[in-house]
Amino acid sequence: MKYLWIALAVIVLLALTGAFFVVQETEQCIITQFGRPVGDPIVTPGLKVKLPFVQKVHRFDKRFLEWDGDPNQLPTKDKRFIWVNTYARWRISDPLLFFQRLRDERGGHSRLDDILEGETRNAIAKYNVVEVVRSTNREPVQAEMMVEDRVTLEPIVEGRELIRQEVLAKAQERTTDLGIEILDVQFKRINYVEEVQRKVYERMIAERMRIADRFRSEGEGQAMRIRGEKDRELLKIQSEAYKRAQEIQGLADARATGIYAAAYDRSAASRSFYEFLRTMESYPAALDEKSTLVLTTKGDFYKYITDTDGGR
Amino acid sequence: MNGNPQDGGRPEMPEIRIPNFPNIPRAMIRRGAVVLLVLIAVLSSFYTIEPEENGLVLRFGQYVRSTDPGLHFKIPFGVESVMKVPVQRQLKAEFGFRTVRAGVRSQYSARSYADEANILTGDLNAAVVEWVVQYRIVDPFRFLFRVRNVEETFRDMSEAVMRSIVGDRTVNEVLTVGRAEIAHEVELGLQALCDQYETGINVDQVVLQDVNPPDPVKPSFNEVNEAQQEKATMINAAQSEYNKVIPKARGQALQTIQEAEGYALERINTAQGDSARFTALFTAYSKAPEVTRKRIYLETMNEILPKVERKIVVDGALDGVLPLLDLAGTMKGGEGR
Repeated sequence: MKYLWIALAVIVLLALTGAFFVVQETEQCIITQFGRPVGDPIVTPGLKVKLPFVQKVHRFDKRFLEWDGDPNQLPTKDKRFIWVNTYARWRISDPLLFFQRLRDERGGHSRLDDILEGETRNAIAKYNVVEVVRSTNREPVQAEMMVEDRVTLEPIVEGRELIRQEVLAKAQERTTDLGIEILDVQFKRINYVEEVQRKVYERMIAERMRIADRFRSEGEGQAMRIRGEKDRELLKIQSEAYKRAQEIQGLADARATGIYAAAYDRSAASRSFYEFLRTMESYPAALDEKSTLVLTTKGDFYKYITDTDGGR
Repeated sequence: MNGNPQDGGRPEMPEIRIPNFPNIPRAMIRRGAVVLLVLIAVLSSFYTIEPEENGLVLRFGQYVRSTDPGLHFKIPFGVESVMKVPVQRQLKAEFGFRTVRAGVRSQYSARSYADEANILTGDLNAAVVEWVVQYRIVDPFRFLFRVRNVEETFRDMSEAVMRSIVGDRTVNEVLTVGRAEIAHEVELGLQALCDQYETGINVDQVVLQDVNPPDPVKPSFNEVNEAQQEKATMINAAQSEYNKVIPKARGQALQTIQEAEGYALERINTAQGDSARFTALFTAYSKAPEVTRKRIYLETMNEILPKVERKIVVDGALDGVLPLLDLAGTMKGGEGR
């Protein structure tokens, strides 16, 4: 019982003087003794012991840390200015080295600013805008209505992904002796600077207007075609009907003529009778009250006027 | 502890005088302290994990175990601590806009997030893309301990992936046919990046919200839509004109043909009728040609002569009577009436 209390008192004493310290899951530490690093860096979490007073704990984050670059106006190879905003993920891979070279995270950030912004600037300046925007030479899917308006994309040689990897590789190379590991660099935002943007908008507007004009002219063209078809169809229908009607009537006339001929043209007697009959039939129509008729008694009708014998 | 102050079993305990509370026996104070200590120990030993959460227990900062929903025990006095992560909840990150108030009719704020939504397309045009990423935390350990500031990191990743995908497409694709494909590709790319960064996040879905041309360009896009409508209208008008005229003309053509056929029937029937009549007449006539001929002649004369008012009958035996006839006077008289 007595020893237990002694042990307890010692532990409390040590705790009060700072012999124990907790390393969190997210942390890693190095221990310095009068400013000189001692032992290996502590990278596992838990309760740890150090010499009180003489040793000091320096804590560093073990996680992936953020680095968000300032948006920068950078010139591209084709002399266009674009805003480029990059971000990176990095971590302190060697806390001792990191502590020796950069002291703390602030130092790390300022060094990363130099390295990443510099490498980004170099990379952007080496390529045209389109290389930074596009990743592949994929064939764009054309919307149905835009068939005549095929957009041909400028082909790229490297592309966004390769440029990104280039920046990453170069930055990684430059940070190995700083105890830093850069996990990833990404172009977060790329945008035109304002003057360029205005011009791009103007170009887009002109392009849209062109498409709109084409739609209108297509509409007019198709309407005209339909009207033309209509006129042609109309004339075709009408003329065909006329042709058919004339054919039918002609055939009928021919048949009628045949029938008449068969009836009237049987013999000399029938011919003469037809002539007589037809003439007789036409008289009532040919003569009316205004006609003046001069008849001689030699004629068949009045011959009995002078002679009961009829002149014979 | 037996609570007896006179007990000599613990000589290290110094005598403590408490002058302010002279009436309370020291045994009671000690007992009270013990009870309080036990109470604190008990209270700080239990913790609850809500149904949507997962608990991570840390002993002196070191991860030792994770716990499911329910009531659980841990070592008190700061030895073990618990971190709770809502693993079952679907979380949401919005880009280019923010939901101001969610509800049946949610309100959104889009101002000042233009930078987030403004994206260059592969044909070096610009589009304004607003999107939502739905995600869940599937690995609480990674989520808490692998990446600092996970949410900010996640936003950066989303933006980078969205830009690289949109950057590979034309503005037309982005605005029209490519939407679903873009959402899908972003989902894949973002998940790959999440795994690479060890965020412990699972991307459930990427949803493209409003995808628009930039504001200054919008009217011209509308113009295209209008032109498209106009085109359809023009074609429809012409088509309706066609439909109005052609079926009618077809009917008229049929009418013409039917009429011609009617004419033909009439013509042939007439001819047949006429010829039948003539044949019949002729057959009868042939039996007595002389008298029939005379009869027809006389009947005709009988019919027409009463109608003709001026008739001059000249004796065929007399020649030269014609000069006596005052043709002119007769004509005048005829006219004068």
